[in-house]
Amino acid sequence: MTNARILIVDDEPQIRRVMRATLVARGYMVSTARSGEEALEKVREERFDLILLDINMPGIGGIETCRILRSQGEIPIVILSVRNAEKEKIEALDAGADDYVTKPFSMPELLARIRAALRRAPMLSPGTPEQLSLGHTVIDFTARRVTVGGTEVRLTPKEFDLLRYFAGNPNIAIPHAKLLQAIWGPDYGEEVEYLRVFINQLRKKIESDPSHPEYLITEPWVGYRFNVPRHD
Amino acid sequence: MENVPLSRVELGLRIAGALGIIASMALICRLAQVNNVTVALAFLLAVLIIAANWGLTEALVASVASMIAFNFFFLPPIRTLTIADPQNWVALTAFVVTAIIASHLSSSAQRQARQAGRRQQEMEQLYTLSRNLLMMDMHGPLAQEITNSIAQVFALPALAFYDRAAGRIHQAGPAETKVEGSKLRDAAVQGTMFHDPVTKTTVMPISLGGESMGSLGIEGASVSDSALHAMANLTAITLERARARDIATRAEAARESEGLKSAVLDALAHEFKTPLTSIKAAVSSMLSDSDLSPAHRELLCIVEEEMDRLNSMLTEAIQMSRIEAGELPLHRGPNRLSNIVRAQLEKLGERLEGREVKVDIPESLPRANVDPQLTGMVVWQLLSNALRYTPPGSPLSVRAAAGESELVVSVEDCGPGIAPPEQRKIFERFYRGKDQREKIPGTGMGLSIAREIVRAQHGRIWVESEPGKGARFAFSVPLAPGGPLS
Repeated sequence: MTNARILIVDDEPQIRRVMRATLVARGYMVSTARSGEEALEKVREERFDLILLDINMPGIGGIETCRILRSQGEIPIVILSVRNAEKEKIEALDAGADDYVTKPFSMPELLARIRAALRRAPMLSPGTPEQLSLGHTVIDFTARRVTVGGTEVRLTPKEFDLLRYFAGNPNIAIPHAKLLQAIWGPDYGEEVEYLRVFINQLRKKIESDPSHPEYLITEPWVGYRFNVPRHD
Repeated sequence: MENVPLSRVELGLRIAGALGIIASMALICRLAQVNNVTVALAFLLAVLIIAANWGLTEALVASVASMIAFNFFFLPPIRTLTIADPQNWVALTAFVVTAIIASHLSSSAQRQARQAGRRQQEMEQLYTLSRNLLMMDMHGPLAQEITNSIAQVFALPALAFYDRAAGRIHQAGPAETKVEGSKLRDAAVQGTMFHDPVTKTTVMPISLGGESMGSLGIEGASVSDSALHAMANLTAITLERARARDIATRAEAARESEGLKSAVLDALAHEFKTPLTSIKAAVSSMLSDSDLSPAHRELLCIVEEEMDRLNSMLTEAIQMSRIEAGELPLHRGPNRLSNIVRAQLEKLGERLEGREVKVDIPESLPRANVDPQLTGMVVWQLLSNALRYTPPGSPLSVRAAAGESELVVSVEDCGPGIAPPEQRKIFERFYRGKDQREKIPGTGMGLSIAREIVRAQHGRIWVESEPGKGARFAFSVPLAPGGPLS
């Protein structure tokens, strides 16, 4: 089923080897890069569906590579790191990563994360409108386009999926775990910090005053609520 | 200081000289045919000069000789020693009194001059000594250098220095010291000065701020008490300076090694985890293959489990050293314990295996001033221990209650309990319960990490247990400021 193209970026040859062997056995097409610089070069030459990116590398390092990749496009990025402090996770997500996996990881877990990152909610759930206008912001769900005051705003696939899920479930408090499972997949549920980072980024993109959000409302200790003004 | 005694020969020569002067005076006066008053004045002058320059003995001899010469050669009846006229008694008395007063004045002036000279010399010596001690190389054999310097500057024939901290006696000077080691030690311990007039030795304690540092044994030389005190003080200050420097150097070294430790651990985290990552990925990948034979699956499972154990040991070791190095920043703020506990119970999830966990945290409980993440780690550790060390299916309970100025969180189980001698030790690093060591895997670091976190938040952690009756682990956390107890 899968023939997605994955770029593995890690300075450790053994890790590249074991991941290449496993991913190829699963039907993925795999390329490898030994550094951030090499990864950026490969991305210019080839098209990839997903990048597995190590943080701790000589040269420009994973976070900076992630930031550059994100500024160039919406390709899903899964960060691999030996550190599991919340601070580092948030730093990586802020840099534009879609997911964060702590080394050492089990291969089934990584495969699940890869599937989650590749997954697009392709179908519009019945309640989702095709288009939604929130003040100056216009969201076109069929074309996956968001414009604010006429200018297009680029959303990463996960950001867009999150926004679409909210649009399909307006004006109700959605628990953290439910949001995570809907957007990332069934294996998720505890990564509250993911939501914090992604909601913040969405607020920056669609809210007129991100520190006093009008649409994406935090429900303390529960989750988030998408506040849509009712049209009569 | 007494006069330096003259040798007999010298005294004899001086007396002879005095007699010579008086005799020549008598001869000159006789030949010059001067009147008696002039003669008397000339004799008086001679006695005065002798008294001023030499000593009392010489002056007395000279005055008696003058009196006899005056009487014999000049006073009528001439060439007899009889004194006819009472006024001649007056002359004799004048000679003697002049001799005594003049010699006394001169000798006291001489003595004072000598004393001033000595004081000046001692001052110069002390100055030289203090300069030597100040410029001394603090890295060398300091005690021996001090001893050498004192002996050299004060030109002492022998000096012994007892360094109490090192328990050693250092010697200097050309002669062998006659001061016994036991005397030096006694002086240092009792802090009193000994003086032995027979061997001409003085033992001087050295102390600074009431703390005894050793003693000095000096012999053969005349050093004033004040100079001795100054010498002892200079020695004490030098030793103290060296000690302060040592402490500073050691503290600096400790700081550096702490920094190095963190750097090494950080490198370890990366370097060790990288091969672990490859192994884990490879093994878990093989395990997801459904064609494995049961035997292979079992062996691969062992590899994966042991690999996980290695990983958790490494993680805990890194965490531990970060906490110890103070690198784990505390983000304290008012937090509800019920939220912290609930989050940890959710995190344990399936590991609870359907056990009954009774949570008793009143909603009215005031907020605690804690770092929620680190406090969560403590709760997680206590719950996770309770799950591991108690029989499956046995109930647990988590409580939180307000004390006088703090909140107490406790985790109770119905397991085998912990014997009193082990209750303190289990919080120590790497200690594992005697009965558990073999049966249940663990690193022996969990509770010591919990203790470090609790301490960093100014709380306590303890256990109450009786063997066979379960255990109650509890820790205290401070109340959030301004949080009413009601």
